[in-house]
Amino acid sequence: MRRFIEFVVRYKNYITLTTLVVMSFALMSFGELSRLGGFRAVIVGSIGWVQSAFAWVPNPVALKSENASLRELNLQLSIESARFRQAMVENGRLRKMLQLPQHTEMPLIATDVIGKTTTELRNFATINRGTEGGIVEGMACITDAGLVGMIVGTSPKYGVIRLLHNRDTRIAARVYRSNVDGIIQWEGEEQISLKDVPRTADVKVGDLVLTSRFSSRFPSNIVIGYVTSVTDEENSLFRKILVEPAVDFSSLSQVFVIDWLPDPERIALEDSLMRRPSTERRR
Amino acid sequence: MASIFSADLFAKPAMRYIAYAVMAMLLSVVHVVMLKYVAVQSVTPDLLLILVIWAALAEGQFIGTLVGFGAGLLYDVASGDVLGSNALAKTVAGFVAGYFFKENMALVTIGSARFLLIVTLCAFVHNLLYFFFYVQPMEVSFWSFFLIYGVATTLYTSVAAVFPMLYVNRQKDW
Repeated sequence: MRRFIEFVVRYKNYITLTTLVVMSFALMSFGELSRLGGFRAVIVGSIGWVQSAFAWVPNPVALKSENASLRELNLQLSIESARFRQAMVENGRLRKMLQLPQHTEMPLIATDVIGKTTTELRNFATINRGTEGGIVEGMACITDAGLVGMIVGTSPKYGVIRLLHNRDTRIAARVYRSNVDGIIQWEGEEQISLKDVPRTADVKVGDLVLTSRFSSRFPSNIVIGYVTSVTDEENSLFRKILVEPAVDFSSLSQVFVIDWLPDPERIALEDSLMRRPSTERRR
Repeated sequence: MASIFSADLFAKPAMRYIAYAVMAMLLSVVHVVMLKYVAVQSVTPDLLLILVIWAALAEGQFIGTLVGFGAGLLYDVASGDVLGSNALAKTVAGFVAGYFFKENMALVTIGSARFLLIVTLCAFVHNLLYFFFYVQPMEVSFWSFFLIYGVATTLYTSVAAVFPMLYVNRQKDW
């Protein structure tokens, strides 16, 4: 026993290191903080409260970027407004002709962004509405420009959005012009990537990318961004496609949360298939 | 900090440990809420890591490792990161920094350029570990990602460490 105590005292630094590293790995296997349930709500609420207290502090870089993007948006909107009026007339006439069912617009919840964590590659935004305002985890968030992300945490008064520039982002998307499907992911660059698009697929620079109807997490036909680069890499069957998000995240101040949730039965089914071991799936 | 730690109030180890805990909590909140104002291309200095290295140099390897784990875990909870990822990286960084511990020589080390070298080394090890697990869910090459973000974060953290070094250096009553 004495030898054991001497051993522990002598190597306490290494024993502590090993224990703490094992504990860290155990925590990592435990997974995301969202699994902590109510504790998560307390953290989201506390951080949200602090962020709202500091929301008045201006960020000159963001303000400059916001001004520039607003000017650009204003110009685009005035052009699009004229086109829109013309398209409405044409659309109404075509709908009548084809007797298409009227598209039901999803209700939106307007929120203000009170804090952004876009540092050290942790890209989240905190909004000033939570479960009391009807916000639920899994809801999609948009602006007038396009898709912002998804709600991943809520407290009674605050919500946390996981932005597109996040390593956990996986969105089923399609190229509007050619109906080519792919998966939107972020790989640490300024732009996001459209993955799993074969080399033979018809994708061009400038193509509009929307959420796919195959997406089990997002409503379909929400603008994600525009293709800015298409390259064919050697020794790869797929194209490397970069997409510029339609939303300017540096000047994000208001977002709309879509009051729509994906079908839980579908998600549960797909998740259970994803969790099944590959050998079992091959059977 | 030098004057704080040389004050009678912080002569007792227990009081210093409480001070580390309070500092870790404050810095976690500062990281999440305020550090975006000094972010350069999404890269920010890791103030918590500097605290961990300070603790390791002042208290030794054992306490440095424990402070690293505690501060990392606190930051994982505050930032919404994968639980345990920062704890692991900061635990190892605290352990590595502990090798540079010299009895009653903490302020001499912290107040010299040696402190910057220690911070650079520990930040490199920290970021190597952190980004290794960070890129796991992504389809990117670890080294290309690390060379951009890992090295940049290491350098920025080293630059930030100049401030505590200069502060301690100016209090040369040790």
